[in-house]
Amino acid sequence: MYIKQISIFLPNQKGHLEKVTRLFLKHNIDIRAIVAFDTAEYGILRTIVDQPDKAVKVLNEEGFVAKISKVIVVEPEDRTGSLHELFEILANNDFNVEYTYSFVMRQDLMPFFVLKINELEKAARVLCENGIKVINIKEILPD
Amino acid sequence: MDKFRIWSENEKLDREQYRAIQLERLKETVKRVYENVPYYRKKLQDSGVEPGDIKSLEDIRRIPFTVKEDFRENYPFGLFAVPTKQIVRFHASSGTTGKPTVVGYTKNDMETWKELIARIVTMVGVTDEDIAQISFGYGLFTGAFGLHQGLEHIGASVIPMSSGNTKRQIMIMKDFGSTALISTPSYALHMAEVAKEMGIDPKKDLKLKYGLFGGEGSTEAMRCELEEAWGILATENYGMSELIGPGVSGECQVLKGMHINEDHFIPEIIDPDTGEVLGEGEVGELVITTITKEALPVLRYRTGDITSLNYDKCECGRTTVRIDKIQGRSDDMLILGGVNVFPSQIEEVLLNSEGIGPHYQIKVYKQGYLDKIEVDVELADADVLESFQRLESLNQNIRERLRSILGIDAKVNLVEPRTLARFEGKAKRVIDLRGEK
Repeated sequence: MYIKQISIFLPNQKGHLEKVTRLFLKHNIDIRAIVAFDTAEYGILRTIVDQPDKAVKVLNEEGFVAKISKVIVVEPEDRTGSLHELFEILANNDFNVEYTYSFVMRQDLMPFFVLKINELEKAARVLCENGIKVINIKEILPD
Repeated sequence: MDKFRIWSENEKLDREQYRAIQLERLKETVKRVYENVPYYRKKLQDSGVEPGDIKSLEDIRRIPFTVKEDFRENYPFGLFAVPTKQIVRFHASSGTTGKPTVVGYTKNDMETWKELIARIVTMVGVTDEDIAQISFGYGLFTGAFGLHQGLEHIGASVIPMSSGNTKRQIMIMKDFGSTALISTPSYALHMAEVAKEMGIDPKKDLKLKYGLFGGEGSTEAMRCELEEAWGILATENYGMSELIGPGVSGECQVLKGMHINEDHFIPEIIDPDTGEVLGEGEVGELVITTITKEALPVLRYRTGDITSLNYDKCECGRTTVRIDKIQGRSDDMLILGGVNVFPSQIEEVLLNSEGIGPHYQIKVYKQGYLDKIEVDVELADADVLESFQRLESLNQNIRERLRSILGIDAKVNLVEPRTLARFEGKAKRVIDLRGEK
């Protein structure tokens, strides 16, 4: 029903991202998405990987502050206005999007959109009902 | 410069007269605290001292020291020698637990305080012709109210400006024609910079003649800068709230040490490690006994300030002993823009803050003329990574607690776990980069 995203505390120091990617490489963890925004002194790195639990374990062992948070990932259709529809649905249903980012890891395909939303399950259901493709949909809808 | 004026005859007695006054008042004080302050009575008894044992001034050495810790243990009124009914004013300074050190004044104490301030402002040259701008923060801090009452007492025109809002300070200073500035030395330097930015030349556009600086130590280099920036006579005065506030001592126009009001205070210099009393001119920790205060008499208070005593007669005509500029501290107390802070207090705030580890590093430096403090702490709670807001509010909460409990505005840096230095022996958690010239 949701995807596990990892949040990593990131002091604004040179080479810090590299430390994370090197660690993932060492443990054979595949990065599917990664984002960090510019902040003054420290920030939060968000990443989606293939083995989130293992990733947090090795991060913690190396002294990183990291945790798993739950997000929804959607795949909007490739046409003008599809993003507007997505956010309109969320707005109309009173959801609060804390942050969003997109990532492309697939050739010639639309980017996925990661959404950090309150009331995650409800949001996933509403999106789905409104024809938005929610990734990992089998896990989102109960049997 | 006008001829040296002296406010009180009691500033030019001869040594024997001072000694006689001090002995008589010391005897009274010891008797009074013994009778009225159970904590002191027990302390004296534990040291085997009865009031009758004080027969000469040298017998003061038999009395145990009072330290800041004693104030803490007796928070808030335990050291008072009078019922609170007789207290007409409270003040407080920051203490080691986040609880302030509380001091009280009777009506007579307020009269004494006024008189002492009248002396130290007269030493500088301030008269009833002057317009005095007080740029200390008004409130529990003794600085602003102390100077305020004494300046009014001599008939000066007081502007109770308080600190902050620097541009407005400069405007008032210009428009009212302030002739005396009362502030911390670092704030005065900051004000001078702001004045310059506003296109004001203090030497031409302002009427300022005197600076009376206190609340924190300063160096001769700072005095030079202050005189250069403002075109004033920059003087320093010294006191602490436990003893009365400002008024313990101040510099005269000769600028060779601060005169102690010896008919109200007995100074000693001790070796901070052994407690042994040192001789004239020797450098050590200043210890002061109050001998006229009613509400809160203090016996042999260890100020933590390092200085020396000079009994030579001063060119200004005063015969009172002078202390040299404060050279430093015998403990790890930090003075940040006039606020006294022990690293242990910061530690206490941090230990009571959620989401961070127990290790920390404090960095103190100057930005322009203002003291800045940064505290590095290790982030421990991964849950705050849920949103940047939560991470920010963790930081803000710590900042806010440091501000509300200790009165300091610290920048808080979150760092990763296990990145701050660990100490096996004595921890060195403070880096002071203010490097005195």
